[in-house]
Amino acid sequence: MKFTLHIWRQENARAKGHFETYPLEGISPDCSFLEMLDILNEQLINDHIAHPVCFDNDCREGICGMCGLYINGRPHGNDDGITTCQLHMRKFHDGDDIWIEPWRAKPFPVIRDLVVDRSAFDKIIQAGGYISTTTGGVPDANTIPIPKHKADMAMDAASCIGCGACVAACKNASAMLFVGAKVSHLALLPQGQIEAADRVHKMVCKMDELGFGSCTNTYACEAECPKLIKRQNISRLNRQWIGALFGRDRK
Amino acid sequence: MNLPKIHSISKKILVGALGAFLSFFLLFHASANLLILRHDGGEWYNAFCHFMGTYLIVKVMEIGLIAALLLHVVLAIWLAVTNKMARPKGYHKPQRSKTHTGSKLQVWTGILIFACLIMHFTDFYFVKIGLVKGKYLAKTEDVVALKTTQPDAFNYAEQHGEYSAKENWLTNFDKEDKAVLEAAGLEVEPDFYHQAREKFKVLHIIIAYLVFFTVVWFHLRHGFAAVFQTFGLYNYKYGKAIEVLGQIYTWVVCLMFAVVVIGVYFGL
Repeated sequence: MKFTLHIWRQENARAKGHFETYPLEGISPDCSFLEMLDILNEQLINDHIAHPVCFDNDCREGICGMCGLYINGRPHGNDDGITTCQLHMRKFHDGDDIWIEPWRAKPFPVIRDLVVDRSAFDKIIQAGGYISTTTGGVPDANTIPIPKHKADMAMDAASCIGCGACVAACKNASAMLFVGAKVSHLALLPQGQIEAADRVHKMVCKMDELGFGSCTNTYACEAECPKLIKRQNISRLNRQWIGALFGRDRK
Repeated sequence: MNLPKIHSISKKILVGALGAFLSFFLLFHASANLLILRHDGGEWYNAFCHFMGTYLIVKVMEIGLIAALLLHVVLAIWLAVTNKMARPKGYHKPQRSKTHTGSKLQVWTGILIFACLIMHFTDFYFVKIGLVKGKYLAKTEDVVALKTTQPDAFNYAEQHGEYSAKENWLTNFDKEDKAVLEAAGLEVEPDFYHQAREKFKVLHIIIAYLVFFTVVWFHLRHGFAAVFQTFGLYNYKYGKAIEVLGQIYTWVVCLMFAVVVIGVYFGL
């Protein structure tokens, strides 16, 4: 297969950045998107054309959340429930023009080319996305009975890999699905409920402080989440927030 | 200038709560409008308007309604501006994610509704507060007695408007008639029944109103389920039911408005 790639090139965080066009031929339909970029980078290096294109990646099996490219108008490309590394070239037509952009959001500044700084997500987690108990051993799984449907919902929310596709897809660059998932997976389980009100307050305050937009219920986040996390988690976040207005009461 | 600090979710909850209040008002307004379709010379509809225009609690609620509308608009625009600031540099390729179109249009349909409200207020509300000319009705203790006590006023009313001795009303007067009737000692107030019937006989006016209702349809269709989501009431169990209820509510409200406008045009 052959493609014409239009890739965002940006020297560093302060540079202006522009699109560069690279024709690419002889790509197998079974090649993954990131492998295709590897082939391009080999050519760029071997033929002394340009510096290789920088892009984030790690596990290349859809579980680490490192990769994330905005491909032809969709985060993680033209497929549902996948990360960029799980996207294959057979999803494109031979001769296609492919536009590759970095995530765009004020709290996700571009570091270089297609790499963005997503430490804003870490700061939200650091603000309260944890259970602060530091003592005691690990209890046996069956000592606290939890209904199956609750455990399932908590597990679904916990499957968030923090890739940032929700922010990239949202027209407001809102992190509500991410925060909703992180709040939900703890709030749905007994261990997380004790600090739930404080947690939601701290995480939402941090989210606002970092400059993420607010949710306007467009649900592009849900459509693009590689882990298929549902909008009900945003609803739960809103519910928790209302509860926190009273639940954060202290003597 | 430092704007007061309201967290993003709280802002959304406020916009949603005000929107829910305004949506309830729309249902109430649309239901009351159906009275225009009665061929009673406006007896029921004008009696309703009289109640709405004079009852103290309703008058207080009217101020609340206008305040709610303005606050809804201001907060929504504030949210839209801060949301825009969250992505200073946009994408080159337009977004192709599967999303709810209504939500993307929500700010724009909101602005269009506000523009249409200016037309609607000019046609009706501004008549009530005396900024614009319109149709009026005169109130008297006894129409038959008026014939003998003030024959000049009665003859004038008979020539320039409509009257019913049986139902005891004098109605369908223009702004010029208002001064004459008031000089004769009659109490005059807006006649929204004839005002509506006159307006909705004009093709371009009803087309404008139908466009208005279509925009309201788009705004409500997204807004209804969005309010539940923002209040944290949208869940796995009731999600589908909320969406269906939203569709029904939106269609019922908009069709009730449309039926009156189209009905009057075709002489119902």
